[in-house]
Amino acid sequence: MPTVTINDRAVEVEVGTNLIDAALKVGVQIPHYCYHPRLSVVGQCRMCLVHIAGMPKLQAGCSTQVMKDGMVVRTDTPEVHEAQRAMMEFLLINHPLDCPICDQAGECGLQDYAFKHGVATSRFHYEEKRTYPQKERIPLGPTVLLNMNRCIQCTRCIRFTHEVAKTAELGFFQRGARTEIGTFPGKPLDNELSTCVVDICPVGALTSTEFRFAERVWYLDKKPSICTGCDVGCNITLEHRRGQVRRLKPRFNPDVNDYWMCDYGRGSHQRLTALPRLQIPQIARKGGALPAATWREALDLVARRLEHGNASGAVAFLGSGRLSTEDAFLLATLADQVASPHRSVAGREGPERRIPNTHGGLAGRDTAPNRRGAELAGLVPGPSGIDARALLAADRAADCSVLFVADSDFGPEASEPATVERLRKAGFLVVMGWAETPLSKVADVVLPVATPAERAGSFVNVAGRLQTFAQAFPAPAQVKTPVEVLTEILARFDAAWAGLTEAQVFDRLAARVPAFSGVRFEAVPATGRPVGAEPALAATVAGGGEP
Amino acid sequence: MAFEPVLSRNVGHPEALTVRGYRDRGGYVALEKGLKMEPAAITEEVKASGLRGRGGAGFPTGLKWTFIPKDSPKPKYLVCNADESEPGTFKDRLLMEKDPHQLIEGCLLTSFAVGAATTYIYIRGEYVDAANILERAIADAYQSGILGANVMGSGFRHDIYVHRGAGAYICGEETGLLESLEGKRGQPRVKPPFPAVVGAFGCPTVINNVETICCVPHIIERGSAWFKAIGPDERNTGPKLYAVSGHVERPGTYELPIGVTFQELLDVCGGIWKGRQLKAYVPGGASAPVLSADDRHLRLDFDTMAKAGSMLGSAAVMVMDDTTDMVRVCYRFAKFFSHESCGQCTPCREGTNWLTLLLHRILDGHGEPKDLDLIVSVANQIGGNSLCALGDAAVGPAKSFVTKFRHEFLARMGAAAPALAS
Repeated sequence: MPTVTINDRAVEVEVGTNLIDAALKVGVQIPHYCYHPRLSVVGQCRMCLVHIAGMPKLQAGCSTQVMKDGMVVRTDTPEVHEAQRAMMEFLLINHPLDCPICDQAGECGLQDYAFKHGVATSRFHYEEKRTYPQKERIPLGPTVLLNMNRCIQCTRCIRFTHEVAKTAELGFFQRGARTEIGTFPGKPLDNELSTCVVDICPVGALTSTEFRFAERVWYLDKKPSICTGCDVGCNITLEHRRGQVRRLKPRFNPDVNDYWMCDYGRGSHQRLTALPRLQIPQIARKGGALPAATWREALDLVARRLEHGNASGAVAFLGSGRLSTEDAFLLATLADQVASPHRSVAGREGPERRIPNTHGGLAGRDTAPNRRGAELAGLVPGPSGIDARALLAADRAADCSVLFVADSDFGPEASEPATVERLRKAGFLVVMGWAETPLSKVADVVLPVATPAERAGSFVNVAGRLQTFAQAFPAPAQVKTPVEVLTEILARFDAAWAGLTEAQVFDRLAARVPAFSGVRFEAVPATGRPVGAEPALAATVAGGGEP
Repeated sequence: MAFEPVLSRNVGHPEALTVRGYRDRGGYVALEKGLKMEPAAITEEVKASGLRGRGGAGFPTGLKWTFIPKDSPKPKYLVCNADESEPGTFKDRLLMEKDPHQLIEGCLLTSFAVGAATTYIYIRGEYVDAANILERAIADAYQSGILGANVMGSGFRHDIYVHRGAGAYICGEETGLLESLEGKRGQPRVKPPFPAVVGAFGCPTVINNVETICCVPHIIERGSAWFKAIGPDERNTGPKLYAVSGHVERPGTYELPIGVTFQELLDVCGGIWKGRQLKAYVPGGASAPVLSADDRHLRLDFDTMAKAGSMLGSAAVMVMDDTTDMVRVCYRFAKFFSHESCGQCTPCREGTNWLTLLLHRILDGHGEPKDLDLIVSVANQIGGNSLCALGDAAVGPAKSFVTKFRHEFLARMGAAAPALAS
């Protein structure tokens, strides 16, 4: 591999590495707007100009590749600084400088580089700024708005639609200083990945209709998390203010979602506010009332019913793909405890969600993020076990003395009157979950738990990749995590389960389930790791092609 | 000045528009000779002739051909750049309208040398007559067995297509031209890769100007030594078309040995019109920095012009008499470049527009002396930093007018523009 010297530091890089990427290896940031590692190199913004020994002019770092030994690059000469200052001046003379009302303020490439590479004074005194009248808020499609006055013509969005989404809705129109971004007549920007153009827009030209004016970004707490929209398990940054989720953004993971996520997943947090919240444990009284109870009363009652349920019928456990792997393992352990084969995962296939990544892409089908993990963790019916289909489509709940539904919002069926009536035929109905649904309203015991954002855990995605996530913000006071609830029930059978954390539960799972053998919760890499029979699952990886 | 025209020898002989007439006047002899040569020998002959690109950059033509990879399995293309959109330039138009077969012969020889089976002649859309004449000549050449599956019975296959542009200066820039040829928005590509490696449709491509290609048959027919003997030195050789416009008695396209002085050219054109005095001239199209009357004895060749801080460019000589308003000329040039900027790269898009705004304000009488320094500074910020040569092209006139005719700009401060002189 050739060696390149950047600001006196030598680094070995792959043949063909561009100077922006090579410089990062020695900790040197070369400023850039138009360059994006997953888009074609166009050399348009000219912010990445660097000095290369032996070259008469400055060269664009994005389009200069290291092909052989001996290239000597400087990013800190007066000429380079002068060029950067010049480009910032050019970009700002016609920029509206409307930061106080711009959603991008605080995470804006123009702001950042203006501070770092620009000067605070203007030489554009008398001339009028170029504006694009009537183009301050053009809906490009259902999810993205364009303010042409803020655009710096970097064409990242255009190239994204051509090269990643492959839908090619956006194009360059006009030329020279009148150049603008736009859609073609009758062809709005409307594809599954469309909001990604907002992520890659370095300025406030493209804003998302969802997040627009929702929050100033500096008030947001940003936590790494996993999208719960489907079983691709896109890595995301969950951005909230005091527990109110404002925005989900993709977090780079080349093996899962690369730099992208779909619009459906991006909007999946709206479910957290769309459904009413279960706040406190409840135990049903005669006549249908569902008054509040203490956790001790509720958990004592559930444990007692589970223990004695076998005497009068089946004791069944209905899991969900929205449970974490740890929850599913605890639920399966509870079923073991009462020797019940009646355990399964509810869920249904939804529309395919394709996310491009460096291996071609992943196609999610399940509407929940962790059906695979829940099944691997043991939520599969034993011999003649009553499974989800039997409970939801047939009338087998009537055979159950106790039915423990571990997710009040296990799917759209949880709100369908026919299904609710069917499940209600169980002798004793326990419903755990964070959302109040028609099902939770008819339960004998309601156990309110944390949302995925309020707890830690792990999911296994469609390709068999185990990914962990941390708590983004705490749950309301009276609400426990599913792991707390399930370990406290288990502790009533076996005190050894008392007080285990998610990580400790996972380590017990790893000790017991071969698919997770040797995996430690704390040691799962940030980008996840494959578990179980991955080669077989690899078949679900959508066809090849360039990223 | 006694000089037997070479490139323009068929001007005034409309019979040369047909294959038969062209042959009667000695045409297609070079092709016949060339097809019997080794392709590499043709390249060597052109290299030895010292022929440099006539489109503006003056790059050695034979050397350019050798950049075509020998081992590429892809088809190779010749693209003839007939976009001729540099303001003041109209030499290629003459060649295409008056002697289309000379160009066809040149395309065939060039393609034979580099192994291209297809030529695209990218012609500016405004050249309707030239395109029609070319298309008729090409049809005639197909009928006569000069184009097609078996060029003059040699077994060499060649097709020529005329592709009409839609009126953008930037499509004369070679990679902008390629994008447009491929049906895309005409905007330059990042280089490298250079067109010789990744050109039209991703294949190795030679791009030469019309006049350059028209030189090739003569070099093959008469030999590189003959060609090299024309011109002042080893580095500036051959006949050259000068497109003279502006304040001369007889504007037009003149063929002279490369390296005549401006004064000699001016004399051929009958001198400055109306008995006025020379103030300035632009030697190579709008993008060449302006030269003053003191520079009238400079030779119009690549190296002399470069040394004088300008360039021969397309040899479009624009002559300005002593009544010329240099502020207005400078503004007009700046406006042209900002209008023709493709808009993809920051310095050219924003900088050329800024220059135009500044010059417009000065033209209106609202300028301040410090604006002149600002113009130079903005120009320096564009120069060398843009994606393609258009940015540099815009810088040349702005800087040279403002520095060489600073007094005229200063005189305009606080005074509105006078009416246009007739």
